[in-house]
Amino acid sequence: MSHTRLAIASALAAALVLPVATSHAQGNMEKCYGIAKAGKNDCQTAHSSCAGTSKKDAQPDAWISVPKGACEKIIGGKLTPS
Amino acid sequence: MLGLRDLQAAFAAHLVGEDRADLASAVVGDTIPAASRLRVHRHHVGQSLASALASTFPTVQALVGQAFFQGMARAFIVRELPGQPVLAEYGEGFPDHVAAYGPAASLPYLADVARLDWALNLAFQAPSSGRLTREDLSAIEPERLLGLKLSLAVGSTLIESPHPIDRIWRAARPDGPDEPISLEEGPAALLVLRGEDDAGFLTLGPAEAAFILSLGAGGSLEEASRSAFAREPGFDLSTTFARLVASKAFAALQHKSMSC
Amino acid sequence: MNPAAGIGLRAPHLAEIVRDRPAAGFLEIHAENHLGASPARQALEGLRRDYALSVHAVGLSLGSVEGLDEAHLDRVATLIDRLQPALVSDHLAWSVAGGRYFNDLLPLPYTQEALEVVVRNVDRLQERLGRQVLVENPSCYLAFAHSTLSEAEFLAELAHRSGCGLLLDVNNIVVTAHNLRLDPMDWLEKLPASAVGEYHLAGHAVNDADGDTILIDDHGSRVSEGVWKLFGEVVGRFGPKPALVEWDTDLPDVNVLLAEADRARAFLDAEGGADARAA
Repeated sequence: MSHTRLAIASALAAALVLPVATSHAQGNMEKCYGIAKAGKNDCQTAHSSCAGTSKKDAQPDAWISVPKGACEKIIGGKLTPS
Repeated sequence: MLGLRDLQAAFAAHLVGEDRADLASAVVGDTIPAASRLRVHRHHVGQSLASALASTFPTVQALVGQAFFQGMARAFIVRELPGQPVLAEYGEGFPDHVAAYGPAASLPYLADVARLDWALNLAFQAPSSGRLTREDLSAIEPERLLGLKLSLAVGSTLIESPHPIDRIWRAARPDGPDEPISLEEGPAALLVLRGEDDAGFLTLGPAEAAFILSLGAGGSLEEASRSAFAREPGFDLSTTFARLVASKAFAALQHKSMSC
Repeated sequence: MNPAAGIGLRAPHLAEIVRDRPAAGFLEIHAENHLGASPARQALEGLRRDYALSVHAVGLSLGSVEGLDEAHLDRVATLIDRLQPALVSDHLAWSVAGGRYFNDLLPLPYTQEALEVVVRNVDRLQERLGRQVLVENPSCYLAFAHSTLSEAEFLAELAHRSGCGLLLDVNNIVVTAHNLRLDPMDWLEKLPASAVGEYHLAGHAVNDADGDTILIDDHGSRVSEGVWKLFGEVVGRFGPKPALVEWDTDLPDVNVLLAEADRARAFLDAEGGADARAA
């Protein structure tokens, strides 16, 4: 198929007269937050479970090298260094 | 006695893990020693900034779990603290940190997911005004459309990954599908956008991604269209262009000065 | 009419408040959460028509020896211009040093040197905004040995020299007094009543500290009975002023906050009634 300047111009112009409903449905954006997305500067006050005087850092030891979450649904890649 | 400038510098060093004897000796200790009192602030800074990063990178945290995320975030925080107080703008360097973070090496897609989270975060903060509408374009003759150079609107970002990060993103949602996703499902190109009342993304085909990339590099609509056709001869230009304009992906045209 | 009792507006409640417009005396937001052009800020601009607003900044770092960050100040000023809030406030604390932001309200030594720094920064803030601001007493976990003024003396002097008002956080008084072994009634003694412009109320946590206890200002529970009792004293002493219930950690249903605000308003109304009878 050859794409002449005229064909491209017509295709672009045609996009502007497609029914709005069609182009909106085709927009079909995956929405992500809603207005409930957390305001991060509310983290200003201490979280009691972690803020404290303990000598140990508040972070747990178990994090070291084992991701444990939805990654278990993802198959493939290099799961262990070989 | 520490002057205020030296005291704040010493306190700053303490917060990122340095034990400063000069600072501890400036603090009143009693049954709760000075060093313990100072640790309240060190813990709080680490914990609150890690919480802020978790809120900016929710998909990354959902994939690796809170404990692993905290460790990865702490390693970032000691290297790169916020340069200003708006925490929604903190974490630009985090995707690169994830890419280089040894313990996450078994999840090759994780850094690209972090890039997606960051782009969504930026889109959420971007203004919804100043967008190109189809009415703006309808006033232009088709011949002149060919030479038009469109820029992506503020908050619009193209993210390309060799991994199916759109499906990974959906799987990591709290209500995401349980079916396993194979990394073999291949590459993804996503256009992240500021919608009317939310941030979101469109999943693009390879020719659509080529179209956006060409425009992003300063190409005209004709050049962008030719890049897309080169990628996929059967590319449906009208549908794609309509979809991008309807999604408010482009910035409004810069009007030339009214004076001659 | 007596000053109102309001609630801190947090993102998870925003959609419900936009939809239901519940009765609340006023809404307080954190400035730093609304400096971008997010949908949340668009919603806030809509709420402005139905509620009085208070803009509470958490990141101006009024105690920074290096002065205010002018770029940040500009953004806060633009937000205030846009929202036209009834009240504007930040804390007696610092959070920036060497261009790095620590996201904590860090303690100051209460010295003449620090007083001059804070007065200079508050002067600059009020000049830039063209209005009076309120400065809040922080929660303290430590004190500096070389302090020469008490916290209340420092605040009184700050208000006197800069013309700023004071935001009395009653929970912070209780937390600080416990952690630094002070008497809350002594603490109140030194404050100039004329400068007090707003009250804050919140819950705190009780944590173990080397076998002792330390109170942590986590805004994660109902206002404690000890804080309500002191609030009664405070309102009796300084009169009814706008009072705010803050909740950040483990945020409950919005009705729980509104019920806490109702309880705060009962104190204001009782005292307002007493003033009216005395007059």
